[in-house]
Amino acid sequence: MSLFAPIRKLWRSVAPRTASDVEKEFRSTLDAYQEDLIGQGLPEDQARRKARMDLGQPAAQNETYRDAIGLRLFDELGGDMRYGLRALRRNPGFAAVAVLSLALGIGATTAMFSLIYAVLLHPFPYAGADRITNPIMIDDRYPDEYSYFELSKSQLDEVRHADLVESVLGFNGSHMEITGGGLPEDIWGVYITENAETFFGVRPHLGRTIEPSDAANGGHPVVVLSYRFWQRQFGGDPRIIGRTLEMDHSPYTIVGVMPRSFAFNDIVGAGDVYLPISLMRPVANGPPIVYLPWIKLRPQVTPAAANAALGPIVFEGKNQPPKGSPDHRHLALQPIIVPYRQDLGRTLTLLLAGVVLLLIIGCANCSILLLARGRTRRHEFAIRTAIGASRWRIVRQLLVEALVISCTGAVLGVAASYWLAQLPLLLSPESFPAESVIRISPPILAFSVALALLCGILFGLAPALRLSRHDPARALPGRQASIAVAPARHRWSVLIAAQVALTLLLLATAGTAIRGFLRLTQMPLGYEPAHVMQLGISLHVHNPEQWNRLQSREARTAYIEQIRQTIASVPRVSTVAVAISATPPDADAQSSFLVDGTANGEQQQARVMLADQRYFAALRIPLLQGRVWNADENSRGDFIAIVNHAFATRYLSSSNALGRQLRIPSLTAHNRYQAVSAQSTAWRQIIGVVGDARNDGVDQPVVPAIYVPYTAALQAWAQFLVRTEGDPLTCLHAIRAAIASVASDQQISNSASAYNGTFTLSEAIERDAQYSRQRLFSILFGVFSAMALGLALVGIFSLVAYSVAQRTTEFGVRLALGAPRAHVLWVAARIALASAAAGMVLGLAVDSFLGAVLAHWMQNTFAAGSLFVAAALLALGALLACLLPARHAIAVPPAEALRYE
Amino acid sequence: MTGKETACSLLSQIGKSLLTKPVELPQGTLEMLILKAVSLGPLHGYGVLLRIQQISGERLEILQGSFYTAVYRLERRGWIKGEWGESENNRRARFYALTASGTRQLKSETARWTDMAAVVAGILNKKANEI
Repeated sequence: MSLFAPIRKLWRSVAPRTASDVEKEFRSTLDAYQEDLIGQGLPEDQARRKARMDLGQPAAQNETYRDAIGLRLFDELGGDMRYGLRALRRNPGFAAVAVLSLALGIGATTAMFSLIYAVLLHPFPYAGADRITNPIMIDDRYPDEYSYFELSKSQLDEVRHADLVESVLGFNGSHMEITGGGLPEDIWGVYITENAETFFGVRPHLGRTIEPSDAANGGHPVVVLSYRFWQRQFGGDPRIIGRTLEMDHSPYTIVGVMPRSFAFNDIVGAGDVYLPISLMRPVANGPPIVYLPWIKLRPQVTPAAANAALGPIVFEGKNQPPKGSPDHRHLALQPIIVPYRQDLGRTLTLLLAGVVLLLIIGCANCSILLLARGRTRRHEFAIRTAIGASRWRIVRQLLVEALVISCTGAVLGVAASYWLAQLPLLLSPESFPAESVIRISPPILAFSVALALLCGILFGLAPALRLSRHDPARALPGRQASIAVAPARHRWSVLIAAQVALTLLLLATAGTAIRGFLRLTQMPLGYEPAHVMQLGISLHVHNPEQWNRLQSREARTAYIEQIRQTIASVPRVSTVAVAISATPPDADAQSSFLVDGTANGEQQQARVMLADQRYFAALRIPLLQGRVWNADENSRGDFIAIVNHAFATRYLSSSNALGRQLRIPSLTAHNRYQAVSAQSTAWRQIIGVVGDARNDGVDQPVVPAIYVPYTAALQAWAQFLVRTEGDPLTCLHAIRAAIASVASDQQISNSASAYNGTFTLSEAIERDAQYSRQRLFSILFGVFSAMALGLALVGIFSLVAYSVAQRTTEFGVRLALGAPRAHVLWVAARIALASAAAGMVLGLAVDSFLGAVLAHWMQNTFAAGSLFVAAALLALGALLACLLPARHAIAVPPAEALRYE
Repeated sequence: MTGKETACSLLSQIGKSLLTKPVELPQGTLEMLILKAVSLGPLHGYGVLLRIQQISGERLEILQGSFYTAVYRLERRGWIKGEWGESENNRRARFYALTASGTRQLKSETARWTDMAAVVAGILNKKANEI
């Protein structure tokens, strides 16, 4: 009741009097007047007639009333809308095609817009996200490369107090381990400074965020969960607040859960849990804690000013350049959206262009259908014009009918767009920020409403103007059957030609994308990724007891070897190799090296991969020359190296590679976690050359690489490359159990992250940026072009079908006069065929212009072959779509056709 | 004259006015006249019609349908208020009365009309030598 009362009040204020009330009053006046007239001496029926003539008809009074209070437009539009809906119900075939054409176009466009909105316009849920910057260090000599850096506590405080800075967040990441039940599990924890709540301004999904009070008294052990972790680990239990989570053998109280759009962050890795940074304990015998900073600038501060102010603070302390060498570096504050905007801008623009083309094709379809159907309504409009409807009134009615179709299509399209928008995120997740969440929000809805209105007017205006133009005298038929004079078909032809041209454009683009993707998949990799997976382990630097045992090189090597043998003992495992940051198709950073016989100071760079002797067998990388090192040489780690073919060609071209010497000066210990052999930087002899395996991404040429035994520089983590029979992931459980039996608190990384995670090598290829982008384009453009082809063919089909139905009499006359059936068929279909042909020529011309540009944007090459395949496909489809309905022209016997009215 | 004779002459005058075509009435002024008619006392619909005839001396004709359109408009704008009641011969009828804002509107309209009439009359009455 309480919901309806204000609505009813509003309604009553709009039209306060009911129809019966108005009529009753009018009748009372009418009766009074009538009685007066009778009193004057008029007979009753004359008095009645005169009264009605002078005052009006009672039945029409409600309309007069509503007109007088200004509701006439409202009533008329309502009537037009109901008429439009009834017309749709009466012609379900027409309605289905029209509404679906628009639903596809509007749905796809809305989906793409919501994707752009979520990813480019509002990707981050943080307060003041446009002022949050990521400080990076740029070396002037290599301006394209940049690196992140860390600040000490005192530096962080200094930056916080700078004038131009509003607030600073310090963060860092670390492996954590869930203990206290079941198999131990490795998760990623992100420590953040306690001003997180005010810095982010994000309302938690449950509970609270990290607060300054958590830092008091050395820190309370609280933890905030990320949304995905909460779902995965606790099944989204709403009563999670206050429970205890044990990590690294210490209990933490869960105080909150962050919302789904919070995935901080991409620099250190999206955290599963968030902790106050005061809880971060320095590593046993390790360096003091450092902070990665995010700096939120005050409003109106330019990055240049901030760079100048903050540079001096940043470049002191451990960030200082080595003594004596000039400092080529400068600070640049990079807004957090920048890494994504560069890559995504083009991708999304291209996709948006694709859906807009689809939308235009859908609108053209609807326009054609309205025009075709309108021919059957000439009679109706002629009568209306004859009894006084203005042209504007008829145009308005037709526009309202068109808007009814477009709004119905929009409703369906928006419902579908929610799922359609997820598609690019699923196909290529690495390209988009983790925080982007697709949501149907008011701006998206407003956009789709505007789009529906625009489309309705766009495709409804042409038919409306055309149909309202009829001269009643000519259109009202007499008794003579009118052989339909061929009406001006220019509009149809233009629409069909436009549709066909745009469809060809989409098909050709899809062809280029698919071709590019196939080329990528067929590129030789140089290794065999099938049935191989990477397992990552990390040694417990936080556990002093265990860490002390593994400090020395020998102990660590023995430990890793023990794990390796355990994994190899699991059934169905054929080969296990050890590798450190050597998993294809991408490898770690470059290092410089020196080859004997070359002058010092030449900046020669190559990838340095740390592996064991089984690495090449596990990945099936062929050995071209020489040999692989054996187990003894592996444990020694020094004095030997293997190079790949690219290295031999580029740096050792003059002579046989075997026997040459090289050294890697940077292969030393950079921090306390590394255990490096004594002679790791000494000269190494090249004992073998292996084939090239992709190491710079799937489509980039192979970079020169040097392989050395991993024991030369041991890290606090390692990876195993496991080749199995059958699907590697099915062996995972057995491998975990086997390792647990040997080393009870050593677990395998659970995450699938590229850094030290667990995943198959096929997945690694799919995650490669270029691979996933090409896959995204080829799938999406394939879908768009299929839809466009369907729409265009349906448009041509229905047009020819309508036209044939109209011209039945004409065909009957032709057949009766003796025209051959083939000729009649040709007459029936020729206009549509001619328009389609014109459209294809136009499309070919446009695409030869644009094709190269589009291919470049997709980072592909333009291929004329795919264009012709697309044209052939479209031509065949158009031919079928013209001829199939034209068969009806010759199917009806002439005698019957002549009688058809 | 007796009451009955008054009534008869009134009625015959009404008949005359409704049968002949003296002066056509633009829409805006009809609303003003209705306001004036109602201002002299609450009336039902037919009564307003009669009173307008009466006070105009039967010199005005109301186009078909325009009367009630004007009444609806006035009611919409809140210048007259309608209520159901009983008429003199015990019929149910809707009685209209002037509201406060209606009174104000009538006053301002009257002032405007008389001003305009005076100005136009002044112009039309000017002789050539007075310019």
